[in-house]
Amino acid sequence: MLTIKGLEVRYGAITAVRGVDLEIKKGEIVALLGANGAGKSTIARSIAGLLPFQGEIAFEGEKLTPGTAEKNLRRGIALVPEGRGILARMTVHENLLMGIYTRPDKAEAMADVGRMLERFPILGKRRDGLASLLSGGEQQMLAIGRALLSKPKLLLLDEPSLGLAPLMTDTLFKMIAQFRDEGLTVLLVEQKARQTLKIVDRAYLLETGRVVTSGTAEALINDPTVSDAFLGGTH
Amino acid sequence: MLIQQLVNGLTLGAVYTLLALSFSLVMGILGILNLAIAELFMIGGYLGFTLIQAGFPLPVAVLAGMTGAAVIAIVIEKVGYQPLRDAPLVTPMLSTLGFSIILQNIATNIWGSDPLQLPIYGDQYTLGPVNIGEMQLLVLGATVVLVALVAYIVQKTPMGRALRAVAENREVARILGVSADRLTMLAFILSGSLAGVAGVLIALHYGAITPYLGVEIGLKAIAVMVIGGTRQIWGALVAGPLIGIAEVLTVAYGGSQVRDFVVYGFMILILLLRPQGLLGGARSDQGQRV
Repeated sequence: MLTIKGLEVRYGAITAVRGVDLEIKKGEIVALLGANGAGKSTIARSIAGLLPFQGEIAFEGEKLTPGTAEKNLRRGIALVPEGRGILARMTVHENLLMGIYTRPDKAEAMADVGRMLERFPILGKRRDGLASLLSGGEQQMLAIGRALLSKPKLLLLDEPSLGLAPLMTDTLFKMIAQFRDEGLTVLLVEQKARQTLKIVDRAYLLETGRVVTSGTAEALINDPTVSDAFLGGTH
Repeated sequence: MLIQQLVNGLTLGAVYTLLALSFSLVMGILGILNLAIAELFMIGGYLGFTLIQAGFPLPVAVLAGMTGAAVIAIVIEKVGYQPLRDAPLVTPMLSTLGFSIILQNIATNIWGSDPLQLPIYGDQYTLGPVNIGEMQLLVLGATVVLVALVAYIVQKTPMGRALRAVAENREVARILGVSADRLTMLAFILSGSLAGVAGVLIALHYGAITPYLGVEIGLKAIAVMVIGGTRQIWGALVAGPLIGIAEVLTVAYGGSQVRDFVVYGFMILILLLRPQGLLGGARSDQGQRV
């Protein structure tokens, strides 16, 4: 579904991503793991069309032009950005309505908004309240719900667990694991490696803009070198 | 006498409201003060004035003022804003100041710096102690309709939500599929159209126009926007009539030499004491300030 070859991204003089190759197949949940500054978010943002890049990103066989976020969403790539990207000055309902902005099937899309409010009852309860008044976890639900409403084929989640309480993180990860059953393809950017590897199919481990290793979640968990470097020793 | 002054103040205030709305549409989305809006208002006025003089009916004149101003707004966006979008906010603002002076110059060259005069347009009605002109009623009516229309578009339509999304967070708007560039252009067009309509209406109401109309009234509209709250459409609706009436009463009872003192003094007070404006709510739903 998504193929990346020789991806390079620079911020001025700094090279954040250096020659990354990556592949995601339809229906997979793939993780990008690594410390702060490893280049995980940069890769996700390049796929979403927010950054200029060199190299090649192809989605469903079509090469993506750098910096065309509006078009990429219409192609079926939705990003839940780091920090959630809630529109704080809008209500919960208005945020969800922004999720169907590009949907041509307006009647069905409106019905989907209603279903989303039922799927996340807390959002239903706060429907007409300002999104800024939601808690961190609720905002993350809103951000994910809004992204799902665009009916994406590939969902990019950029550090969704950041700043969430442990219990909320568990709920969130369970929800992401369920996306597999809905036939959604997911790229999950995370720092919480151990927890992430429990729910994903495969993962890429990044360090200073390069892929250090990659493989199935199972193989990575059992790899002693990976365990030392990324999972904090014994497990 | 007092009621007459209130009616006159209300009319003036209605025009301030329209123009303030025009300023805040661009201000709200881009965070820049498009100073050329004042001159779009003036050019709109001249276009309408010229067509009325040539014998065209009022709706044609209003449409021409609106379209002319909108077209110039497109040029300003393309030439004066788009290429400077990533520069510090003050840069595109200076470029709109440049446009403003050029437009004033163009108007002076085409129409001359002496006022153009028309007989007062429309009939005059007398209701008890109050004289009210057809044009005055039209200004008031058009303001109510246009403000309601803009409020509806911004608050209730997908396009309005997209505008607000771009205003709040351009990047988030883009990943939701909003073409931020197109919406920016749309804000300029909406804003220019409003300024153009306001220009035609006030020029006909006064029955006179000069190339300096924009500076006189446009700058006050900025004050009205600040007083009402830059991010609140309803702010301009309250602040416009308030300033209009305050100004007219000041002239009637205090003399015209102190009228600007009242308006701009009030603006400075608001900036110092209540920077979010009269109707600005809690900080959490507010954008950046002027």
